[in-house]
Amino acid sequence: MERESVCVLGAGSTKYGKLEDSISDITVQASVDAIENAGIEPKEIQAGYISNVFGVADKQVHLGPVVMSNLGISECPSLSIESACGSGSVSFREAFANVAAGFYDAVLVTGTEKVTHTGTDWTTTYFSYCSDFFYEGQAGASFPGLFASMARAYLHEFDATEEDLASVAVKNHDNGVLNPKAHLRKKITIDDVMNSPVVASPLKLYDCCPFSDGASSVILCNEKFAKEHSKDYVKVIGSGRGGSPAALQGREHLTTIPSTKIAAEAAYKMAGITAKDVNFAEVHDCFTVAEVIDTEDLGFFKKGTGATAARNGETKLNGSISINPSGGLKSKGHPIGATGVGQIVEAFEQLTGRSGERTVNDAKIGLTQNFGATGASCAVHIFQSV
Amino acid sequence: MSAKPEFIDAAKAGNVLARKCIKCGELHLATVYFCKKCGSKGFSNSTIKGAGKVVTYTIMTVPPAGFEDLVPYAWVVMELDDTSEFINPIRISGFLPNIQKPEDLPIGTAVKVIGFDNHGILLEKQ
Repeated sequence: MERESVCVLGAGSTKYGKLEDSISDITVQASVDAIENAGIEPKEIQAGYISNVFGVADKQVHLGPVVMSNLGISECPSLSIESACGSGSVSFREAFANVAAGFYDAVLVTGTEKVTHTGTDWTTTYFSYCSDFFYEGQAGASFPGLFASMARAYLHEFDATEEDLASVAVKNHDNGVLNPKAHLRKKITIDDVMNSPVVASPLKLYDCCPFSDGASSVILCNEKFAKEHSKDYVKVIGSGRGGSPAALQGREHLTTIPSTKIAAEAAYKMAGITAKDVNFAEVHDCFTVAEVIDTEDLGFFKKGTGATAARNGETKLNGSISINPSGGLKSKGHPIGATGVGQIVEAFEQLTGRSGERTVNDAKIGLTQNFGATGASCAVHIFQSV
Repeated sequence: MSAKPEFIDAAKAGNVLARKCIKCGELHLATVYFCKKCGSKGFSNSTIKGAGKVVTYTIMTVPPAGFEDLVPYAWVVMELDDTSEFINPIRISGFLPNIQKPEDLPIGTAVKVIGFDNHGILLEKQ
């Protein structure tokens, strides 16, 4: 199929963390930042894609029209997309498909979440509704619990230790310290991780990403529109999606996420590249073990070697492949509806020379991977500088 | 009509209600409507003994609502013994109370389904 070349023209984000403003306010703020960064007028936007999971927690669902009205373009069509923690990248994909198909020249993609005011009990419980609830959430499995079950399987199957997993958290905090918009900006040690309270064994508090508030936004457009507005854009050269059995019990292997492999294969094929061509990746590290599994499923490391690679420093900033230069979900934070878009903001900033101290040297190709729940849904995107 | 009421009744009797694809023989949990292997819709019901081995688990210390008074407890993925000869054996997950530490539940431990209530599928060590 003949399709339009699709570009990211601008990006914006609120700080991630515990925010005071309402969900509609942060969603609008991030959108305005992206519009101004892209150097376009709101009236040039032809559709809005808003990703969000728990708007109900801040008394605002149907966010699209609220955002559009605040941008002075209430007539512009919009929609909200929910796909658990993968909402942002799924929303981006839908926007990508519509621009690629020629339906729109330029669209707004904004992800947003506001949950910290509800407290850990509420979030632990409501997030568990993203699992296959009949078998998982209902039977007492939280998200840390589900990933802890994957971690135990990983540690059982491969030559890896809890300290190896902890090294992922240490590395992501090292990166997050360099990111002014990160939620947890402090260095930690492997001992800090090992001595933090157990949440769901074998995962400890510092193996887990935080609950965060935040919003991230990008302007997506065809290349003709991009060229007319700026020389400073990034091409979307690959896009893939995939699915996995919703419940862990339905999977033959618990140390791989099928949807990531399916999405990555499709994205690499569209881009005409392999994992070796990728300079950095923003991956879904909701828990330390998830980053290890992601880096294997994306083809950066052989199955069973990702934990050791992390421990050996291969994934640190400007290591053999920079993984989560932003600090990842672990340190930058995880406002679940925003996360997938936030990864793309990072890719855009890295590839347009806006990443300051956390810059991946000479980066030309970046990849983002974002999944929902335990990877029941996943989207992978690949970006190239121009 | 949903197969869940029947599935729940089976769990209460210590069993797992499965469906065997009439066309290709693939086994599924009773809550599935189409065969994951060949896509066909015809199934024969098969009641399988809810006994098996632990594949993986966690011990929960920060629980979701409804489990506050039960920590620590285990959430377990188990593989059913009577399906082990199939290419894709059936795995099922559930709530296993009164587990304190990993030594209490090594991978491979024999466990069984003993009920179903507001905590979902209830398991215990054999």
